[in-house]
Amino acid sequence: MRAAAVAVVLAAIAALTGCSSALDVGYPEAAVNPGLLASVAPRRVAVGPVTDRRSDQTRIGARPENGKPIETARPVADIVRDALVVELTRNGHVVVPEGGDVRVAADVDDFWLDTAGSDGSTQYVGRVALAVAIRDEQGGSTVLVRRYAGIRRRYADPDAKEAWREVMDTALARTVHDLATDPELVRALGTVSR
Amino acid sequence: MVGLSACASAPPPPSVATPPSAPVSEVHRLAVVPSGESKLTVPGVSASDDVGNTVGRVFSDIAKWYPQAYLYQALAVLVQRGVDWIFQDKRSSAADQYARGITPSAVVADAFTRTLVASGRFDQVRTLQGEPVGDDRREADAVVRVLVPTWGIVRVRGGKPEMMAAYADVRAQVSVRPTSVITWEHDEDVTHGERLPAQAFTGDLQLARQALKDVLERAGQRLANELLYARGDQ
Repeated sequence: MRAAAVAVVLAAIAALTGCSSALDVGYPEAAVNPGLLASVAPRRVAVGPVTDRRSDQTRIGARPENGKPIETARPVADIVRDALVVELTRNGHVVVPEGGDVRVAADVDDFWLDTAGSDGSTQYVGRVALAVAIRDEQGGSTVLVRRYAGIRRRYADPDAKEAWREVMDTALARTVHDLATDPELVRALGTVSR
Repeated sequence: MVGLSACASAPPPPSVATPPSAPVSEVHRLAVVPSGESKLTVPGVSASDDVGNTVGRVFSDIAKWYPQAYLYQALAVLVQRGVDWIFQDKRSSAADQYARGITPSAVVADAFTRTLVASGRFDQVRTLQGEPVGDDRREADAVVRVLVPTWGIVRVRGGKPEMMAAYADVRAQVSVRPTSVITWEHDEDVTHGERLPAQAFTGDLQLARQALKDVLERAGQRLANELLYARGDQ
């Protein structure tokens, strides 16, 4: 009886504190560096829709030790949308809910953590792939469609959740960095009228 | 309670972007130099070590039952060296087939330079064959050394079939003149997006070589993009 009560209390604490097995993958604002995107005069940008096109949207991988799903704390589409918003905002653009000068829409084609066994450690490979469309909201035309992909590979212990998240964080960051340094995308943003 | 609640707020993710450094922002003329040695690794190509060590094991087994065998120990060592030489030679030949005509750091350096030139953010970016001297040295604000310590093919997914992809572990170092201080350094594990069963690589040398070239190109682009990102809006 006493043990059961302790278990209930522990479960309640875990629920209240948000302790969960899901990965809190994200793109940290502190790491954003104003760059090429800031060379374009500030635009009012509507971000979205960001659509998760993956065939299995319920998970981002399988645990190497038991095959159970690896999940993210937030939907993958939200993670990607937030990353785009952070990058645009830190580069001086104003993100607006609707309208604006330009719309940045994205399809998430891949957001997955793979594992490959090895002696004593496991190799993790995180992949993020996006298709990004830039639309001139005033002119009503799509001015650019580009695909970006980021991959991160590292060895870690089989149950190293910190490594799982770092791998996915880095794969996402590499994807966004490719986007932020793409001269074609910067030119496209620059051609959109304000 | 504090200990239990600690899991709620996960530690902040590690910084994945290199912070901008003023000297990197100020360089406008770059000399890009392929540098260092590269080691090719391909699963299966170096898997013959077990076979190569059999002479020693067999000799030890014989010596258990026939103590006089120690008299022939010197001969066994010589035989082992011969076997090692044969397998080493085989390994080198197999690796040579994949790497023939490809200088990894040169491929990465070329792609790095092209990406920086296309960005339009530098006044001059040139790939050199070796360390700059004379006018090449005087004309550069900074020397970027590009290294590919390891490259090859790696397992990227377990299961059946195991999936493989080409990879390159690369590094770029920006050394500003005249102090030669390294103001920016970036290491990156670059992996080809295309993953194939092992047999696809071992059975089609041309495909494997193409994948290796592709991933080196990609590595050059990635290093350049990270430098552009770190450099900021200059």
